[in-house]
Amino acid sequence: MDLVLVQIFNGIQYGFLIFLAASGLTLVFGILGVINLAHGSFYMLGAYLALTLTQLTGDVFLAVAIGIPLAVAFGAAIEWAFVRHLYARDHLQQVLLTFALILIFNEVQRIGWGSHPHSVLAPSYLSGSIRLTDTLTYPVYRLALTAICATLAAAMFLVIQKTRVGRLIRAGESNREMTELLGFDSRWLYRFVFAAGTALAALAGMLAAPVESVYPGIGERVLIISFVVVVIGGIGSIKGAFLGALVIGVADALGKVFLPSLAGVVVYALMAAVLVVRPGGLFGRVIR
Amino acid sequence: MIRLPSLPVLLLLVVAVAVFAALPWLGGPYTVKFATRVVAMAIFVMSLDILIGVTGLVGFGHAAFFGLGAYAVWFVTPKDDGANLILALASGVGLAGIGAAVIGFFAVRTRGFYFIMVTLAASQMLFALFHDTRIAGGSDGASIDVKPFLEIGGRVILDFQQRNTLLWFAIAALVVSYGMVLMLVRSRFGRVLQGLKANETRMNALGFDGQRYKWAAFVVAGALAGLGGAIFASIDGFVPPEILGWRESGLAIMMVVLGGVGTLWGSILGAVVYSLAEEVLKSAHWVGPVVAEHWPIAMGCLLIAAVLGAPKGLAGLMPVRAARPWSAPAGNGTGVVHATQPAPLLEVAGLSRSFGGLAAVADVTVAFTPNRIHAVIGPNGAGKTTFTNLITGALPVSAGTIRLDHDDITALSAAAKARRGIGRSFQRTNILLAMTVAENCAVAAQARGSAGASRAEEDAAVAWALSAVGLVDRADRVASTLSHGEQRQLEIAMLMASGARLLILDEPLAGSGPEETARLTALLRELASDHTILLVEHDMDAVFACADTVSVLVNGRLIAHGTPDEIRRDAGVREAYLGRFAGLEDAA
Amino acid sequence: MTLALVKTPAEAATRPPLLEARGIATSHGRTPCLRDVAFTVGAGETVSLLGRNGMGKTTLLRTLTGLAAGGPNASIRFRDAELAGARPAAIARAGIALVPEGRGIFPNLTVLENLTLPARPGPSGKREWTLPRIFDLFPRLAERRDNWGDQLSGGEQQMLSIGRALMTNPDLLMLDEATEGLAPKVRDEIWATIRVVAATGMSIVVVDKNLDDLFDLADRHVILAKGEVVFEGSTADLKGDPDLVHRWLGV
Repeated sequence: MDLVLVQIFNGIQYGFLIFLAASGLTLVFGILGVINLAHGSFYMLGAYLALTLTQLTGDVFLAVAIGIPLAVAFGAAIEWAFVRHLYARDHLQQVLLTFALILIFNEVQRIGWGSHPHSVLAPSYLSGSIRLTDTLTYPVYRLALTAICATLAAAMFLVIQKTRVGRLIRAGESNREMTELLGFDSRWLYRFVFAAGTALAALAGMLAAPVESVYPGIGERVLIISFVVVVIGGIGSIKGAFLGALVIGVADALGKVFLPSLAGVVVYALMAAVLVVRPGGLFGRVIR
Repeated sequence: MIRLPSLPVLLLLVVAVAVFAALPWLGGPYTVKFATRVVAMAIFVMSLDILIGVTGLVGFGHAAFFGLGAYAVWFVTPKDDGANLILALASGVGLAGIGAAVIGFFAVRTRGFYFIMVTLAASQMLFALFHDTRIAGGSDGASIDVKPFLEIGGRVILDFQQRNTLLWFAIAALVVSYGMVLMLVRSRFGRVLQGLKANETRMNALGFDGQRYKWAAFVVAGALAGLGGAIFASIDGFVPPEILGWRESGLAIMMVVLGGVGTLWGSILGAVVYSLAEEVLKSAHWVGPVVAEHWPIAMGCLLIAAVLGAPKGLAGLMPVRAARPWSAPAGNGTGVVHATQPAPLLEVAGLSRSFGGLAAVADVTVAFTPNRIHAVIGPNGAGKTTFTNLITGALPVSAGTIRLDHDDITALSAAAKARRGIGRSFQRTNILLAMTVAENCAVAAQARGSAGASRAEEDAAVAWALSAVGLVDRADRVASTLSHGEQRQLEIAMLMASGARLLILDEPLAGSGPEETARLTALLRELASDHTILLVEHDMDAVFACADTVSVLVNGRLIAHGTPDEIRRDAGVREAYLGRFAGLEDAA
Repeated sequence: MTLALVKTPAEAATRPPLLEARGIATSHGRTPCLRDVAFTVGAGETVSLLGRNGMGKTTLLRTLTGLAAGGPNASIRFRDAELAGARPAAIARAGIALVPEGRGIFPNLTVLENLTLPARPGPSGKREWTLPRIFDLFPRLAERRDNWGDQLSGGEQQMLSIGRALMTNPDLLMLDEATEGLAPKVRDEIWATIRVVAATGMSIVVVDKNLDDLFDLADRHVILAKGEVVFEGSTADLKGDPDLVHRWLGV
């Protein structure tokens, strides 16, 4: 039973983390209409950035503080240099061009950090485990991570609901043409959304670094899971990404306990089930 | 329509085959194995082009079938012995085909992004199955110690252990399968696939069951990929689970696009060029140590440049064979065509359709008599398009019945209704832009009747349709190059060729100048002699010039139905159009 | 095709045109929708754009706001700037506001959010239209300020769309079928509001089919048929020629 509980906690923590990454993806796909396969690479680069910055500063949160603006700038640069040429193109070309980006980013990672796994230490004030019950202990950092992600999720909701930018994003999601008629140039909106999506993926990678080892393949795993979450939650829906990510996280974790050899299948089976019942995902297209 | 390769291309292919076949003498064992791998990949990539280039289905899980084909060889290989070669290849094709049948059944019910996700998910599930379980060696991969061979009467005729034999067999398999796929794609079945890629809406409106055709294409493509996988497994006798993964699928898509989507031979070229490029970029001897060390960056840049700069791929650089010009069949085939059913009677009773709480069409009852032109008019938002969508089956009915010649057709699908002889044109012409005028009509003719048409009937129908609308001298022009008016004529020609007896035309005169309008109106009058025509229009001059009856829809309700003169005098109609306009009640 | 008499009203000659569009030839793919259309709006003028469906009215408005390309010879002069080929956002910021057919309100934003999203002073610094003023003009919106956009009735959505356009303090307000599908009483409310707005000196283009209302409202009427201007004149001109009305607007 303890094992199940631990796995559920892990699942929730994983789910929150995936939510960060998937929310960026759903925004980019929902508003820009671009399938960006390189989204996983941003996660991976974030993790490696955290590795280097933590080595330099000694504290992963300091690394995050420095890394976020870097990730935002990087995202804006990629959008300007490359992604904005994809808006007019069909899915096939978007898939291909972003796939080519994966090849490039993977090699950049290998040049910078090599192929062997690294680990990033959690900050000392969050290391160790805390006793939850007589028989159950749980790593402090994971709890902190869950709390941080939950706070970020709340912050994201607040930004989307309460700020002018959030209003523009929601409006653009339901009627982009109307926002243009009201004087908002989509080009800047798109750049902002892509940079934000990149930063969210990178942030997820940075925060996750102390929990799992940092190795070259982590981006691709996150990419596919993020797409599954987007399908389940509904393209463009933050709320859907939140629910989808939690469901996926817990299902994946429980799958590892009860169906260890078929754990990898659980996630996809869930996606298939949702598609059958609600073809547009849980929350369809509109961001609330 | 996909063409046979032009002479320069054929020459290129022949030279390539010759070079590959001569490799045992030109290069060492590594070269032969590399070449065999390339040929196996080429079969795989060509099979993907059937999906992407021919049918327009972009899937991200095709490597699953390549992998299934490879693993199948391992499954049928007995311990410490080699499998029967025929059995090995047949299992590869069979297992992959079955996998494609199952996955494809669900996948073709989705489209676009969701199709990508479903195929991706399916291949990832298979990857998980082969990687995480011990069903075939798990993450270590499956080893085939003795490669397949063919033994007849005690003598070994073909042995894949011999790398040269495998190479030549693979080349032969590629050539034969290319020939067969080419024949399939240029057959009537293949023509429907190309039509689905060109315009699925139009194909469904003609009565083709798009999902069934797509599923068939999916199975064929999957089975062929399995053949490539079976050959691949025989090269090194080792199958890693990674060949089922999405990276392999992505690479395959890359090669198809690099080579040129939709040409078939282009994808073979793409596989060869990509593999060669990878070898070159990895070799310090060619590109220097720096680039060789970081070849993925160079490859990524190359691919981006290729896709952005040459959207038609390498095949775009080669000349295309000219299509055989269409010619009218000998003898007057019109007799064959006209001897079909007379124009039908269309009756709707209590027809309604609601969206949420809003009634788009409310309780409409009207009869449209045969051999007449019936106009349906009404102010904006009156429900005219919804009304036609209900009749053609594009939308399901909320209440009421639709009868064609007294048969209740209300519950039939759009494709079934089309096969009953209902043809529709759309506000924005829906034709197959990538095909020629004659090909468009041929596809339409292929759909006629409930049993399909014979070749002779088809040719006759095309000839009749083209001469009736006056497009005979445009027969070989690609539809996308036609003027707007000609495209409208083509759409009507397609309806005629399809044998539709009830024509539902949605604003066929939109955007037409006066001469075009006059020509189309005259054509409609002619067609009325053996069709029933329902016309949704705003051009009042044309409506009143050619319509026999006029039905007026306002807010989903039929407020008037009668001759043009009766409608013109109807006060309710006038108010619907002019709103409150007190000054005119006594005028006109 | 014979054109009806095109009569230019005398008043327009004395006011400099705010908007002067020429050579507009818009197509939907291969389908030509507008053939060499010229359209002007004077400062402080209210012009009605009439014609049956599919004749090009919405296409003209979309071309003027940059959503559709007007063809190689198009020229759209607004005050002193040439707007042909400019992005819709730039045209909106130059002072042209469109209240589109279908209203285009954001269903996932509240009434308040719909109104405050685009709020800004006009291109010449005009700050006439503020939130309190809009709520004054449309008391019903004030009552429903926290409702989601898709919880409003058709009439309220229309008011919201108009109010939202006004919050950008435009110099030219264009309304496409602003009373479509609305009950007569609501229609009257909306027309009354438009009259108030016109009285502030706003230039207005109205597309509608209720001729009586438009006769009261507009200074000049333009009729489009099959993508061409077939009539331009005053209310008196129209009222005096009922055949014309039937020919181009009736059945």
